Amino acid sequence: MKFFSTILVQTNRNLQKTWPTQFMTLLTVSLSVLIFSFFFLIYTNMIKAGERLGDDLRLTIYLEEEPVMEMQSQLVRRITNFSPVEEIRFTSRQDAYNRLATQLGDNVDVLDDLDPSFLPPSIEVYPKKNLSNLAQIKRFSEYLATLPGAVKVQYGQEWVERFNYFTKLLQIIVILSGSLLILTTAFMVAYTIRLAIVARQAELEILRLLGATNGYIRTPFLIEGFLQGLLGSTLGLLALFFLFRWIQLHFTGPGILQLIEFTFFSPTIIGIIIAASITLCTGGSFSSMRKFMRI
Amino acid sequence: MDTQPANKSIVEIVRATKIYPPDVVALEDISLSITYGEMVFLTGMSGAGKTTLLKLICGIEHPDKGMVEVTGKDLNRIKGAEIPRLRQQIGMAYQDFKLLPDRTVAQNIAMSMEVSYQNIRTIKKRVIELLQKLRLEHKHNAFAGNLSRGEQQRVTIARAVANSPTLILADEPTGNLDSKTTKLVMELFEQCNISGTTIIIATHDESIFRKSENRVLELHSGQMVQSTDRIILTPENMP
Repeated sequence: MKFFSTILVQTNRNLQKTWPTQFMTLLTVSLSVLIFSFFFLIYTNMIKAGERLGDDLRLTIYLEEEPVMEMQSQLVRRITNFSPVEEIRFTSRQDAYNRLATQLGDNVDVLDDLDPSFLPPSIEVYPKKNLSNLAQIKRFSEYLATLPGAVKVQYGQEWVERFNYFTKLLQIIVILSGSLLILTTAFMVAYTIRLAIVARQAELEILRLLGATNGYIRTPFLIEGFLQGLLGSTLGLLALFFLFRWIQLHFTGPGILQLIEFTFFSPTIIGIIIAASITLCTGGSFSSMRKFMRI
Repeated sequence: MDTQPANKSIVEIVRATKIYPPDVVALEDISLSITYGEMVFLTGMSGAGKTTLLKLICGIEHPDKGMVEVTGKDLNRIKGAEIPRLRQQIGMAYQDFKLLPDRTVAQNIAMSMEVSYQNIRTIKKRVIELLQKLRLEHKHNAFAGNLSRGEQQRVTIARAVANSPTLILADEPTGNLDSKTTKLVMELFEQCNISGTTIIIATHDESIFRKSENRVLELHSGQMVQSTDRIILTPENMP
């Protein structure tokens, strides 16, 4: 107890003496956390949106002719042999016509002069949820195109590909901003602690002569690093939360945000970001002490 | 404070030699034994090696030859957590004060007790007590950098004494003091000595040990030239 109260008094004294530098470091840590968690939030939401869209993913195989019952079971066998699927649905020319007519609603009369068999028959394949990877979908669609009687396979390639590229780009940004967070935070905290050590060299020397233990001298610096990590990440995440709320309030109209249904980080993710930030800052402080403190 | 048998050595120096680069012999073949509870004066001219000897005793410097033992611990072999533990038992009043100018007098004195994780209330009480004894109570909140040299000297003495160490080393403790303040400082040392603390005072001020019955060690060019056991004047041995 005496140890902690003495160390806290010492830390408080140090912080009072070096508060301008400490404040600047705190801002840098907060900004780094804000930048990283901003992109990470978008990324996690895009991943979630991707999963949701993946639920609706279907591949449509347009056929030359309507397959007979025997042919249908053969096609089902060949499809399921390649990859397990949720569901396979056969659509005849007539079914396709009826569906289009329903979709047209009041404008159904545009179909009046057309032959009800003008639409091709098709097979709708609903893949399993594990088939979310773009390369897997592509491979599956290429295989489906080789089935007997298949003319064309469609699954909204362009949209899926664009979405996939965007997610990949976000992944790179998250990795880069994560690296930036690690470098900036560790460097800034290490540098601040180094400045504090250099500025207090005379004091540390006297403390050493008076019989201060390593714990007495080092713990306040570690606490400073810990506080930088804790407060910096909390401020960064708070700023992000307010930004998130602001975006939610001001972009409530129809658009991508409505479609994606943005959510904030779960308490676990918040905990992990704060813990990572604390580890980085305390680590930066520790490495600086090892390099520059001669005790 | 540890209570130790009066005849047991707290400081044991055997044939210690200290040479500063390139070839300045600060101490040569010094042997010395100081028992628990003793008060010893170390005298000699400037450059005689008094400060170096104190530095060897508190472990700031190490001898190039010979051995220095303090509280039974060989300072050449002591390492790790033992070093701060030993230093907490030694209170040193430095000739160059070693105070932090941007800290108050009270904070400077408190440092020696804070490193031993003493209770804050105890620290405050002890600081006030020492400041009163050294007539510095009005300087409690003054910054050490704004004090006169004499005041700074008293603060460094108060810091050395504050943690109730087993051994006090004072390097020229009265160098910047007038006779009245010198008396105050010596009274403080005597009180500590009466309560069992061993005290080694390095000084060239003869007035502080002339009438003393304690041992006086004289250094000259790094060598021990005289070790005098003062005769205590009692009615029995008076001429």
